[in-house]
Amino acid sequence: MSITAETAKEHAHDPAVLCCRAEEGTVIEAHNLEDPTIFDDLVDSGLLDLDGALTIEEVLGAKLTKTLDSLSPLTADSLDGVKAVAKEEAPAEEAVAEEAVAPVAAAPVASTGGVLSIHIGEGKDIDLQIPVGALGGGAAAAGVVAPVVGGTAAVAEAEQPEKVVRELTRKHFKITEVKRGPETKIEGTTLYIREGIEKDCIDDQVLVHDFKIDIITPENYHTYSETVMDVQPIATKEGESELGSGVTRVLDGVVMMLTGTTDEGVQIGEFGSSEGYLDENIMWNRPSCPDKGEIFIKAEVKIENKTNMERRGPLAAHTAMDVITQEIRDVLKKVDESLVVDTEEFKQVRRPGKKKVVIIKEIMGQGAMHDNLILPIEPVGVLGGKPNVDLGNVPVVFSPLEVIDGGIHALTCIGPASKEMSRHYWREPLVNEVIHDPEVDLCGVIFVGSPQINSEKFYVSKRLGQTVESMDVDGAFVTTEGFGNNHVDFASHLEQIGMRGIPVVGFSFCAVQGALVVGNKYMTSMVDNNKSEAGIENEVLGCNTLCPEDAVRGLAMLKAEMSGLEVKTAEKAWNPNVKSTNIELVEEATGKKIDLVENEQSLPMSEKRKAKYN
Amino acid sequence: MNKVQILLRQHVGAPCAPIVAVGDKVKKGTLIATPTGLGANIFSSVYGVVDEVLEDRINIIPDAEQPDEYECIAEGDHLQMVKDAGIVGMGGAGFPAGVKLSADLEGGYILVNAAECEPGLKHNIRQIEENVEMTIRGLKYCMEIANAKKGVFAIKKKNEKAIETLRAAIVNEPDITIHLLPDIYPMGEERAVVREVLDVLLEPTQLPSAAHADVCNVETILRVAEAIELRKPSFSKNVTVVGKIKGGNEPHVFFDVPVGTDVETLIEMAGGLDEEDGPIGEIVMGGPFTGKATTPDAPITKTTGGIIPTIEFPDLHGAPVGLLVCACGGNEERMRDVCAKMNGKVVSVAECKQAQRQKNGSLKCENPGNCPGQAAKVLQFKKDGATDIIIGNCSDCSNTVMGSAPKMKLRTWHMTDHIMRTIGHPLYRHLTVSKHVDQLPNGK
Repeated sequence: MSITAETAKEHAHDPAVLCCRAEEGTVIEAHNLEDPTIFDDLVDSGLLDLDGALTIEEVLGAKLTKTLDSLSPLTADSLDGVKAVAKEEAPAEEAVAEEAVAPVAAAPVASTGGVLSIHIGEGKDIDLQIPVGALGGGAAAAGVVAPVVGGTAAVAEAEQPEKVVRELTRKHFKITEVKRGPETKIEGTTLYIREGIEKDCIDDQVLVHDFKIDIITPENYHTYSETVMDVQPIATKEGESELGSGVTRVLDGVVMMLTGTTDEGVQIGEFGSSEGYLDENIMWNRPSCPDKGEIFIKAEVKIENKTNMERRGPLAAHTAMDVITQEIRDVLKKVDESLVVDTEEFKQVRRPGKKKVVIIKEIMGQGAMHDNLILPIEPVGVLGGKPNVDLGNVPVVFSPLEVIDGGIHALTCIGPASKEMSRHYWREPLVNEVIHDPEVDLCGVIFVGSPQINSEKFYVSKRLGQTVESMDVDGAFVTTEGFGNNHVDFASHLEQIGMRGIPVVGFSFCAVQGALVVGNKYMTSMVDNNKSEAGIENEVLGCNTLCPEDAVRGLAMLKAEMSGLEVKTAEKAWNPNVKSTNIELVEEATGKKIDLVENEQSLPMSEKRKAKYN
Repeated sequence: MNKVQILLRQHVGAPCAPIVAVGDKVKKGTLIATPTGLGANIFSSVYGVVDEVLEDRINIIPDAEQPDEYECIAEGDHLQMVKDAGIVGMGGAGFPAGVKLSADLEGGYILVNAAECEPGLKHNIRQIEENVEMTIRGLKYCMEIANAKKGVFAIKKKNEKAIETLRAAIVNEPDITIHLLPDIYPMGEERAVVREVLDVLLEPTQLPSAAHADVCNVETILRVAEAIELRKPSFSKNVTVVGKIKGGNEPHVFFDVPVGTDVETLIEMAGGLDEEDGPIGEIVMGGPFTGKATTPDAPITKTTGGIIPTIEFPDLHGAPVGLLVCACGGNEERMRDVCAKMNGKVVSVAECKQAQRQKNGSLKCENPGNCPGQAAKVLQFKKDGATDIIIGNCSDCSNTVMGSAPKMKLRTWHMTDHIMRTIGHPLYRHLTVSKHVDQLPNGK
C-alpha cells in the first residue's frame, strides 16, 4: 500500500514500485509507491519482478513518461529526471574480517495460509515480509537467519575491579556401576539402589499406579522407552549450604531419567513424544540430555488415565521419582570426601564499568506438564520448589549460580526437540558463556513463565519490561523453549524491553516448523536454536535447544548492538548456511575454534524419523 | 393507489415528531412532522387521510383525486423559506439544506454536484437537459443565501447534451462556470468534488465550508428555486427506475414522484418487473455502489435516487470469500449481504487503507478515487484461504486489485457486478480512462 514520506525515507534504498496506476506526467511522490515490506510476498506470488527497478530515493520527484499500472517497478526508461545517487562505498575487506557476524532469526508474523510479515528495526532500514508455511503444515516456511555485523571489541572503559558476589563449589563423585541391593548406598564408584523402592514411589503418589526402574548402561542403549519426561543430575547440597552457593555434590556418569504413560498407554507429552529406542531418540551431550556413555536410572511411571494433560499427573510422576533421587542424595551427603574426583569453582562476578546485561529465560507455565518447580531446596528437587504456574508466571530473579545449581526442576517434557529439561539449566550454556566473559557484567537471570491465556501473557511481559527497566541494563537476552503459543509472549518480552531503548537479543527454535507466529519491530536480533537438518521438531530429545554455539553468537550480537553497530537485515527464507558462515566469522574475530554440535543425522535412523523425513 | 408511507427520518439528524393524528385529512404540502433536533420539516405528498401514525412513519390513504395544487409555505426571507420547505440534500446524504446554506461562505463557492456518479441513474442529467433555467436560478438563490461569489457545475464530460444546455444557459452569467469531471467513480463524492474543482483535499472530518464552499446536489438547488418562487414544500423526488424491467434496461426517469410512494408502484410505472428470462436477484434502492437491497413495499424518501431490480446473482457454491470493504461502496453489512446472495462464505474482511472510520460509524475515504494500493489486502485474502474476493471499491482501487488478485488466482467480483450486467454497464475491473479531462475554456 502507498507509503508516507517518512517511510520512503526509511526505505530510500529499496526498489520503487507503483502501488497503483499512475498516468503519464505524474511526478512521483511517496504516496505513489508500494510499501517495500510486502515485496518478498509479491515476488513469491509472481506478481513482481524487481529487475532493473530504481530505488525510492532515485525516483522521488521524477516524472513518469508513460502511464503504468499498479505494481509496475519504476525503471529508467519510464521516468524523466531520475535523481543521481552516490553509491555508498563498500566497506573495506579488512574491516569486514575484523567483525563478527552472528545469525539473526527474524520476527515474522505468520499465519496458516503462507504469509508472514516481519518488521525489523526502526530507523535502520529493516522492514520486510516473509512467506511462511502453515505452522505444523510443513510447507514453505521461514525462520530467518541473517547476519549481524558486530564487533567483539569492548568499548574502552575505565578499568574497575571485579567484585565476587558469591561462590559455588561442585564436588564430583564418579559412578561407574549402578546395581540394585538391600539398601541405597555408594561404595567406591558403585551406586546401589534399594530393592523394592518402587513401592515407596507408588505409595507416595495416589495418581502413580505403576513404577518400574531400569538401569540403562551403554551396552543396552538400544532399548525401547516411553517418552522421556525429564533428565536430571543427581546432586545434593552439602551441610548448611543453600542452593546457589556453598558446596554441591554431584554424581558423574549417571543421570535420572523419567519416562511414562497413562495406565492405558498414552504418552505424557503434547506436541510429539520421544518414545522409541533410546539410542535413536536422544541427542547425546546436549545440555538437556544424557552424555553418551552415562548410565541412566530410568523410571517408567504409569499414571491415572486422563491426568496426563492435567497439572497433577505429570507432577505426581516427577514427585514419585524424586523419592529415589532423594534417597540417593541423602547417601551422597555422607560419602567420604576421598571419593571426590573433580572440583569445580563457580563465581558470580560483577564487573562494574562493563556493559551490564541480564538474561531472561522464558519457561513454560501453561499448566499440565508445561510447568517448572522454581528453586527447590535440593538441586532439581521437588521439596520447597514453587510451581511456576502457582506463582502466576511473573518474573522471578535468580542469581546465575542458582540457575546452574539446579534451581529449575523442569516438567517440560514435551515437544522433545526444543524443550529444556532440568539438566539444561544445570549446564545452561548462555549463563556459562556470559558469566565467563570479562567484557560484560551479568547482573542476574530472570525466569518468566509463559501463561496459557493471551491477556496473562501480556500481564507477565509488562511486568518483565518494568523489572528490566528498573535494572538499568545496557542489554538483555531473552531465550525461550518450545515454539508456537509461547512465541506470543516471547515476542512481547522483546518488545517490552526494546521499547525501553534496551538492545535485546532473542533465542528460539524457529527454522521451518517453529517460524514465529508474531513479531514486532524490536525483534531485530535473533538466534535460531535449530540444529535439525530439515528445520523441524524432529522429536529427538534436546536436538534444537540452546547450545554453546548459539550462546556465542547471541553474545556477539548483543555486544554489537550495545556498541551501536548495525544488525543486518534478516535474509528472506531460513537458510542454515548463514549460521555456519557467521560461526566462521566469529571464529576469525576471536581466534577461537567453535565446535558445532551434531544433529539427528549422527544417530541411527528410527522408523518414526524415517517417516518424518519422507 | 397504494397507501403512501412517509418516513419520519429522511435526513441526517433525529427523526421528526408527527403533528397529525389518525383520521386527519391532509393535502399535498400539509406539514405533518417537525424536527426534534437537527432535521427538516416533513409534508404530506398527497391528498388523503392519515391512516396510521407509527414510530417511524406516517401512513396516508390517498384520495382518488389528486389535484396539482399544494399548501404553500409562508413568504419570508430566502433562507427561512428553504428551511420551512424542509429541503434536504437530495444526492443521498440528506443534510438539511437550510442548515448548510446558513453558513457564510465569505464570497466562496456553491459547487453544484451534477456528477450523477452512480451508474444507471439519469434523473440529475435529465433535469439539466429539461429544466436548466430553474436549476440555474436555484443556484443563484443558494449563492445569495450562503454569500458565495461563484457557482460551479461539476458534471462528467460524457454528458455532452446536458453540458451544451448548461453552456448556453450560463453565457451571460459571469459568476457561474462548469467544471468537467472524468467518468470515474466516485467523482460525485462531496470531497472529491471539492478536490476536483478547487484543488483542495479535505480531511474526512472536514466539511466543504472549510474550503469556503458548499456542495449541493443539482436537484437540491432546483427544490430551493421551487421553494422560493413557487412556495413549494419538499414532498416530491426525481427518481430513476432502471434494470430488469419489461421493455428493456433503459432508464426510466420520473420527475416529482410523491415522497412515500412505494417501490412496487414505481416499478409498475416503469413497466413492471421482467421475470421472463429468469427471476429477480434483488431490488436495490439507491445507486449500485451505495444503495441497499429493498422490498416492493418500501417507500421512497427525499433522498432516494434509484430503484434497480437486478438479474440473478452468480453462484459461488460456498466458496471462501474475502471482502474488501471500501468507503466508496457498500458497507460491510451490505457486502456480506451480497456475498450471502452469491452463496459465498466470508473468510476474511479487510477495509481499504484509506477508509477512515467516522464518529457515526460510517467510513469515509481519505482521498476518494485515488487508490492507496491494495496488494497487501489481496495477500491477506490469499493467506486467509479465500478463493474469491468481492470488492466494493472505486474505479481506481478496483483497477489496483486487478493488478494482483487474478495473478494470485483469486477470482475477483465487484459487489455491483449483478447490477452492471443488468443495466448493460461495463463491470468495475480495469481502469482504461484517464483521470484527467480537458476543461472548457474559462469554464464556459
